[in-house]
Amino acid sequence: MATKETPQLRSISACLAVFLGLLNIFNTGNCDEQVPLIMWTSEGVSVPSQSPPTAGHIVGQQQLASYLEKALSVGPRNVVLFLQDKMSIEDFTMYGGAFGNKQDSVFPNLEGALRSSSSPLVLPAVSWPASNAVIGQLQDQLDTSPLYMDPETLSQLRLNASSPALLVFRLPYGFGADLMSAKDILSGNDEMIGQVLSTMKTQSVPYTAIYTALQPSREAASLSMEAGVGGGRSLLQARGGWRERERERERQRKIKEKEGIYGPVEFKEGDDTCIMLWATGLSVSILRSGRWEEHDLTPSTFGEGVSPKLGGSTCDKSKARLVLNYEKVLGHSSFKLIFAMSQRHYKVSARRWFTLDAVELEYDGTKATFNGSRHVYAPAEYSYRCGSVTNFRWPVLIPRTSKDPANQWRVSFADFQIQGFNVTGSDFSYASDCAGFFSPGIWMGLITSLLMLLVLTYGLHMIMQLHTMDRFDDPKGPAISVPLTE
Amino acid sequence: MLLECMMNGHAILYTGVTLAFWSTILIVGTCYTIFDLGFRFDVAWFLTETSPFMWANLGIGLAISLSVVGAAWGIYITGSSIIGGGVKAPRIKTKNLVSIIFCEAVAIYGIIMAIVISNMAESFSGTTPETIGARNYQAGYSMFGAGLTVGFSNLFCGICVGIVGSGAALADAQNGSLFVKILIVEIFGSAIGLFGVIVAILQTSKVKMGD
Repeated sequence: MATKETPQLRSISACLAVFLGLLNIFNTGNCDEQVPLIMWTSEGVSVPSQSPPTAGHIVGQQQLASYLEKALSVGPRNVVLFLQDKMSIEDFTMYGGAFGNKQDSVFPNLEGALRSSSSPLVLPAVSWPASNAVIGQLQDQLDTSPLYMDPETLSQLRLNASSPALLVFRLPYGFGADLMSAKDILSGNDEMIGQVLSTMKTQSVPYTAIYTALQPSREAASLSMEAGVGGGRSLLQARGGWRERERERERQRKIKEKEGIYGPVEFKEGDDTCIMLWATGLSVSILRSGRWEEHDLTPSTFGEGVSPKLGGSTCDKSKARLVLNYEKVLGHSSFKLIFAMSQRHYKVSARRWFTLDAVELEYDGTKATFNGSRHVYAPAEYSYRCGSVTNFRWPVLIPRTSKDPANQWRVSFADFQIQGFNVTGSDFSYASDCAGFFSPGIWMGLITSLLMLLVLTYGLHMIMQLHTMDRFDDPKGPAISVPLTE
Repeated sequence: MLLECMMNGHAILYTGVTLAFWSTILIVGTCYTIFDLGFRFDVAWFLTETSPFMWANLGIGLAISLSVVGAAWGIYITGSSIIGGGVKAPRIKTKNLVSIIFCEAVAIYGIIMAIVISNMAESFSGTTPETIGARNYQAGYSMFGAGLTVGFSNLFCGICVGIVGSGAALADAQNGSLFVKILIVEIFGSAIGLFGVIVAILQTSKVKMGD
């Protein structure tokens, strides 16, 4: 036991130190909307430990559920959940004695518990909306309702190792009326954790403990500079109060939702992905009685947990067709957005290219077709990406004929990326961007400048060829004198 | 020795420009190759995306400027000979002014063509290659071609007439009867400038820019 513990001890403290240290670096870059989660089993319980996530990885809802499931399926099913109002990883770096000053740490009980546990799990970044659902997930997995307790009521409770229980201890954080500093609050929370753990120890019931929070306690500092929504920061802008932080956090969350951190739509043929599509915005508008009515298809196509219906999609070596089926779009009960692509070998360039032949909107038996092959093309091994694929603003999609119903529609895809062939794995290949390095204007300027440069060169050559006549110079002769009088 | 060679202003200028040009081409070509972006080197894209107006105006500019260079060069060559020869044989002064006039004609061809070509430039409302239309592209390229044609023809015609005129002046100074024969050579030299003008007019005869 002792020999097993020493490497565990070293690895735990190393793990703690490393993640605290690493997150110091990641703090300056990317800290937004995450809450740490720490899970450990009681002393004396040996369960296989789970591998922590890679550094910088943000654990989403499904991944968190799988971690909890794995822990609860093999570990004790009595769960003690310490739910703090707010927590961020900065609390640990600031008050956890991470700078070699272990004696100033306000988490002695927590650290002791982690050290004595055989399988601690530290998730430094659980995405915020997911961490909120921890109680719900534990409830589902344990099939029992949570009991909100405090240390006094715990000593009166009799726990049983065989029946699952979920004990929730709420810990405060806020800038409360006590005007206690965060350090004191965290120290007080740690004390309570210590009390609860010692009570559980006297009960000698094996348990799994989780320490997390409902909200992050710090807002994202760097995002507010990049986002630029409502202006950036001025040099001497002082950090506002709590309300400003809340407002900023809301704003950052909206921005993140808009930018989208989600995967692409994948159409699989068997096990292999065949067609991939990604965009930050898909919207269609129809002209009805002089007005444009818009419908945003993005939330029903992209997002975590959103799986659009791809019925009717086909894909083979030379043709690929992605069909996105929607319901109730602009008054049409069934609405389809179809991307038809094809690839073939072109003799002059001696390579295979693929083109987006058509973007079709099918609704109520009518089909509106946009031709995209003029602009949307890329070598067949690569994917095509464009910042804006529309039919009205720098149009890339053109209605097939002048009488086509497509003339009444406006489609707009923002930050669009598509690949219909040669998909390996579940990532896009190199993205051939629609915007090249030199724009036509740059080329025109370069050509004209080159011409001017040639003219200048020639002119300089001519001028440098002019020499003053020196045939009759006689340095030894008398100087020329021009008499003033005739 | 290399340093002495480099002290020459000409050498520095030409070395510099040549180096810049070839290194740009080499670096751009290497980048295209190693990043496997050769497919982005698209001449058709360049020709259809650049504005026909650029080509048209380059043609107009080249028409007049190259013609003027030719005329100026010719006049400078002839003029210096006439003035030099006129010191010892003042009788050649008036007769040899006809060489100067032949050189000047070249500049006049240039400006006439420039005005004719610039009158063909009209505005059009298309922005994409499809909406601009083939006719506007043809107009742009024709005007560029015509400008090049008349410009280079007049350039070499002017130089030619200048050198021949200079010879004529000096021969005339020696022997008065030689002038008329040399004038015939000059007339042939002047005709080539006219050929350039005729071809340029033919090139722009079908130009119709606009919507």
